[in-house]
Amino acid sequence: MVSLPSRPSAVPALDVQPASIRACGSTLLAASAQIDDVGTFVAGDARIADWTTSQGSTAYHRGIRPIGRRADAMSLALRGVAQRVDRHADEMAALVVEHDDLDDRRLHLAQQVAFLETRAGGALTPEALVALEDDCVRVGGYVAVFESDLRRWSSAVAAEEQAMNDAFGRVLHLDAVDRIYGGVADPADAALDAKPPAGASPEEVNAWWDGLTRAEQQAIIAAAPGAIGNLDGIPAGVRDQANTVALERDLADWENVEQLGLITDEERTWLENARAAHDARQEIEDRVDPITGLPIETQLYLYDPAAFDGDGAIGISAGDLDTADNVAVLTPGFGTDAESAPYQADRAATMYESTRFLDPDASNATLFWIGYDAPDNAPWDEGWDGAGVISEQMATAGGERLADAIDGLRASRDGEPAHLTAIGHSYGSTTTGHAAHDHGLPVDDLVFVGSPGVGGDTDHASDTGVDPEHVWAGANSRDPVTYLANHGWFNLETFAGAGLGDDPAEDDFGGNRFEAESTTRGPGPDFGQHSLYFDHDTESLYNISQIVNGDYDDVLTAGHNYDPWYAGVQDPELDREPTTQATR
Amino acid sequence: MDVVPASVGRASRGWDEQHLDVQAAAGQIAQATTSGFTAAVAGPAARFVRAWERHVDALGLGCEGQADGLRTTIRDYVESDEAVGADYLALLPYLTEVR
Repeated sequence: MVSLPSRPSAVPALDVQPASIRACGSTLLAASAQIDDVGTFVAGDARIADWTTSQGSTAYHRGIRPIGRRADAMSLALRGVAQRVDRHADEMAALVVEHDDLDDRRLHLAQQVAFLETRAGGALTPEALVALEDDCVRVGGYVAVFESDLRRWSSAVAAEEQAMNDAFGRVLHLDAVDRIYGGVADPADAALDAKPPAGASPEEVNAWWDGLTRAEQQAIIAAAPGAIGNLDGIPAGVRDQANTVALERDLADWENVEQLGLITDEERTWLENARAAHDARQEIEDRVDPITGLPIETQLYLYDPAAFDGDGAIGISAGDLDTADNVAVLTPGFGTDAESAPYQADRAATMYESTRFLDPDASNATLFWIGYDAPDNAPWDEGWDGAGVISEQMATAGGERLADAIDGLRASRDGEPAHLTAIGHSYGSTTTGHAAHDHGLPVDDLVFVGSPGVGGDTDHASDTGVDPEHVWAGANSRDPVTYLANHGWFNLETFAGAGLGDDPAEDDFGGNRFEAESTTRGPGPDFGQHSLYFDHDTESLYNISQIVNGDYDDVLTAGHNYDPWYAGVQDPELDREPTTQATR
Repeated sequence: MDVVPASVGRASRGWDEQHLDVQAAAGQIAQATTSGFTAAVAGPAARFVRAWERHVDALGLGCEGQADGLRTTIRDYVESDEAVGADYLALLPYLTEVR
């Protein structure tokens, strides 16, 4: 008589949605930041320094103290729960993975046991019987290990649920909040006191951040997201967490006053920018990595809805800037402000898809960076804005900010440095040119596309400070914006000191030109061609992606523009038949 | 009656802003979704959210109470005989709640 192993127990269903739990934690954290602001207000602006002598003043100052103390305690309590909820999401996500693994094992073992049962039911030779008994012992051992793992997993689920419920219950009532957190110092306060002053280098900022305890770091993210969300030298993942708290808080604030009919014009502008940031992130997260099939990870790297007199500043990456092998920073140009973030997010996601498609073994991140005050108008839509577009003033100021941003990206990464590419499109190429020429950019490659000129002081690729072998230009022959750049020895610059600088696709400039024609081009100039450089299956996106990936041998190079003394600008790409290049 | 400076008016506006911000936070908490938790946790999570919406709402009302209290102080002073000239004019805008 053979002793058959028992059938493995069923794995209980685990009905849980870690992403939804994480969202809950994120909402609670943002609310805790808001409550923390009350405490800060009571300790600061609520005190009326020049109203001290009357009874009313004494009563007022005495009366606000408990409110501040209560707000501080509530903020700490809610933050603690929010962070526990976030950890719960992580724990449950891991338990879901374990659940699926156990389910697979159970299915496999059930098949093995069923097979043994079938064998035991048939006629057996003595040798077959011995073999069957051996198999039963072996499979029985596997089942026992499975049952043990299942019990351990079930216990872990129950323990995690209990721990989460305890965290909720511990501060359910305000008397408990006061008892546990009343008068407790916020770990963020001392940590922020040691923060390097404004103007500190990204390396100094990074060293300060790395020197904090995890509790201090988490406290700052929750209590003072504005202090680190846009601070160069802070890791991208941390900036994302802080800016997410700030974004959620801002949306709640301004949507509340909008609903009450109390919103100011200024707040309405900021709210539109905040909504644009939200939509831009969603644009990327709704798309999937072409290799893994998982949603593309995003990082809200820059968020300041009130920057530049309400134009706003937003930078969001598709991919993880802290760990990606290849990082691209995309600086847009004409007509860019915070409200164009969803449009730029589409470009960043498209480039992410393309770079991943062309080199599945490398990890990538593409950051769109609306971090400078760009000319507001797209000239072909709204006419020329002489103050903004045809001067380099905004590019000069933007270049300084871009250089700081890229220094920050470099300083904030641990381990292997990324292969980093700065890409400037349109007026963004003028800005990128200024960043490189005026401040030096620690990048591996520099790419100018649809450029109206890369700055008046950059006459040659080597003036950028980047090896000319790694300076690239994409210029669609039908893109009129590229015609604005100075060509040859006699041009706007030599004539009147005007223009936005030299054409990086010209032979004299000394960089590489890559193919960037579109199959949709017509016979003549067309402003629509200026917006196609980042579209899928174009020569341009294919080549930019190869550069970003460092696969230089795969770049399809093009003949340079040239400007002989006896004729106008000659573009060898004018008559070449455009091709389709697969990028997805 | 002691002089009530214009900074009292500014503080009342500050409390109004805090009230609105905290009210927004209460709304955020109310909207926090608890449907992603397992059945064993969803109940306590929902209870927590409901309780904290009330706690935060009460904090907001406390802020509003401070704003109203300061406005009353301003009104009493402005309506008294002692408020004259520049003090009086500086405080007038703060008599009404803007938002």
